[in-house]
Amino acid sequence: MHDFNPGITPNGVFWIVQIPDDAVQITGDTLTIHLQNIAVIDQLHFPGGTGNAPATVSFDITYTKSGMPRRVRPTSSDPLSPFTWAGKMWMATNTGTFSAAYNDGSFAATGSFSSSGNFGEMGTERNGSFAAENDDAVAKLLPSEQGQTGVGVSQLVGNKNAELRSDLPLLKGRVPIKGSPLRTAP
Amino acid sequence: MTKGIKIAGALCILFLCSLRLTGQVLPVPLPGGDIIQPFGLFNQFFPGVGAGFDGLNADPHGINNSRTFVAMGYTAGTATDSSGKTYNVITDIRVYQGDYIGAVPTYGAGGTTSAKAHGTFVEI
Repeated sequence: MHDFNPGITPNGVFWIVQIPDDAVQITGDTLTIHLQNIAVIDQLHFPGGTGNAPATVSFDITYTKSGMPRRVRPTSSDPLSPFTWAGKMWMATNTGTFSAAYNDGSFAATGSFSSSGNFGEMGTERNGSFAAENDDAVAKLLPSEQGQTGVGVSQLVGNKNAELRSDLPLLKGRVPIKGSPLRTAP
Repeated sequence: MTKGIKIAGALCILFLCSLRLTGQVLPVPLPGGDIIQPFGLFNQFFPGVGAGFDGLNADPHGINNSRTFVAMGYTAGTATDSSGKTYNVITDIRVYQGDYIGAVPTYGAGGTTSAKAHGTFVEI
């Protein structure tokens, strides 16, 4: 297995890299991101891998929202709960291409991926100290609001992708699952 | 003398650490997250419906005190390495762009206060 990620910061922020604002373009229903040679490590396992081969990844991804947005309101006052945020979210798909290479040149790969059949979403969010703010504060971030009705349950299944071939080794960005898609306890 | 060198070394380390943080508003992680045994708490949720997910409206963000655009999605695909070997690929790449309130070192030992910043982040 290969597991390319930028590492967890000492204060616990999970696998995040700050990038230039102009690496992301938001236009209408789409968000595109173009990144080249982002420094990562190949952890070779997830989670808790011990490998740390220095590498870089490059990728282009287009996220596309669809349907009607749903309003999300905080439904828990427990700060450790997943449900303490507010926002307006659309279901979304994404497709992308990527390349990855070890800094020492001993490994390189290219590939493509698609979210077809898997869960995805995009929209605006407020959490933590921003959660109590009015929605208007972030409305400007996302034009072309289409309404506030919900989405069909058939769109919400976490992962229905049946194309993952279990006879192939796994190369991942995060959350490895061999054979059964996306996520199980290690 | 040896003790003095050790103290000086420690002060240098503190000084260098504070230099690295100067001018940077550090994002603060979500206080909650998924507990994956035996590794512990990862400050991240996995939105989605069905076994192995935290629910449709689980927070997709990785940064607390944020007001941003967010995009995410689980994907599957394939890759080929330079020797022709093929791989399954799984990704969960999330994008955040907007405002956040993070931490800046303010006091002598690096003690923090809050600061507002704007930024774009990608979670790989």
